[in-house]
Amino acid sequence: MGPLIPNHLIPIEWNSIIAIIIGIAFGFVLEASGFSSSRKLAGVFYGYDFAVLKVFFTAAIVSVIGLYYMDYLGYLDITQLYVHPTYLWAAIIGGVIMGVGFVAGGFCPGTSLCAVAIGKLDAWVYVGGILLGIFMFSELFNVIEPIYDGYFLGNITLIDSFDWNPYWFIFIFSIIAIVAFAVADMVRKKVKKVFY
Amino acid sequence: MIKKQTAKILAFRYKILALILVILAGGLVLLPKYQKNEGIKPEQLLANAISLERYIATDQIAHKLINQDPSFILVDVREEASFKKYSLPNAINIPLKKILDAESGAFLNQNQFDVVFFSNDNFEADQAWMLCNRLDYKNLRVLKGGINSWFKTIINPPKPTEDMPEEAHNLYTARKAASMFFGVAYPDQVQTDPLEKTQTAPKQIITVKKKKKAAEGGC
Repeated sequence: MGPLIPNHLIPIEWNSIIAIIIGIAFGFVLEASGFSSSRKLAGVFYGYDFAVLKVFFTAAIVSVIGLYYMDYLGYLDITQLYVHPTYLWAAIIGGVIMGVGFVAGGFCPGTSLCAVAIGKLDAWVYVGGILLGIFMFSELFNVIEPIYDGYFLGNITLIDSFDWNPYWFIFIFSIIAIVAFAVADMVRKKVKKVFY
Repeated sequence: MIKKQTAKILAFRYKILALILVILAGGLVLLPKYQKNEGIKPEQLLANAISLERYIATDQIAHKLINQDPSFILVDVREEASFKKYSLPNAINIPLKKILDAESGAFLNQNQFDVVFFSNDNFEADQAWMLCNRLDYKNLRVLKGGINSWFKTIINPPKPTEDMPEEAHNLYTARKAASMFFGVAYPDQVQTDPLEKTQTAPKQIITVKKKKKAAEGGC
């Protein structure tokens, strides 16, 4: 039966409205759990707070397990889900730039907007940087375009490209997550506590 | 002391949660797998197969062809030799063997046009329809009776006898007109010379009148 909107169980006009509602809920949860503090995000890299790692890893695993159970029970057709297209080198270079910005600024784009909403000055600077980056990207687009459009691999997933069994992959992935959580906890106990 | 107690409980809670996660993920691995069907489910296919909605009459196709309706494509599913011998106007040939080929997909798996399958009768066309319907292609139709019916109704319509109802006569007239469109000649419709003669006579009169009118205009 699912996904709901592509199969017209919910009219397509509701798409943006649902997106706005989910977006507000997401922003609220980010802010409520303290993600609008750049110290919380930077904590992952300095080893005193692994909340970000735990939250996003848990979210990914819970949703992937839930989706595959729903697919198994016939509530959802997993092949109909949208897979973001892969432009290999664009993704690698963009990922590196974003990672550097992540460490340096202590925000991801989503949390930076949350922090702007509660009036953090560093977030204002950060969002200014994002806008500057967008401007530079747009101006240099002609130079960057071959990378931006090139190395297109289609809407692939790890499971397609390496021909893995998705169920085993999910199982191993969740073991890795639990090990990562345990290791993160051990690291956090050894590192000097930072209060913020 | 209290803090340590809570820390212990918390740690235990995390272990439980981790265990649940592992059990759920392991469950996915251990569950018996079943083959998933591509396309529509058998119940849906049966419902579609029973329904007669897919059939389109030869009269409707003739009407669409005459009006140059651009909303449909005719697909001849017979062998190439038969297609070359005779086929409906503007039909494309996709033999039943090649119906699942990638290049056929471009014609069949789209939602821009209605696809009308036809063969000599409607058996092969029905088979093609069934395969494509199973793959969840949209807007598929079958020409009822195929080319045989096309010949019987449109190209060579049976002449109604005088005691038949008016509808039968109207249908015959419409079909006769359609067959003329598709190139059939009828002896009673061939125009004869006397008509032309009567046409030439008034023309001469008109030319005379025109000259008079031109003179009047001068005044």
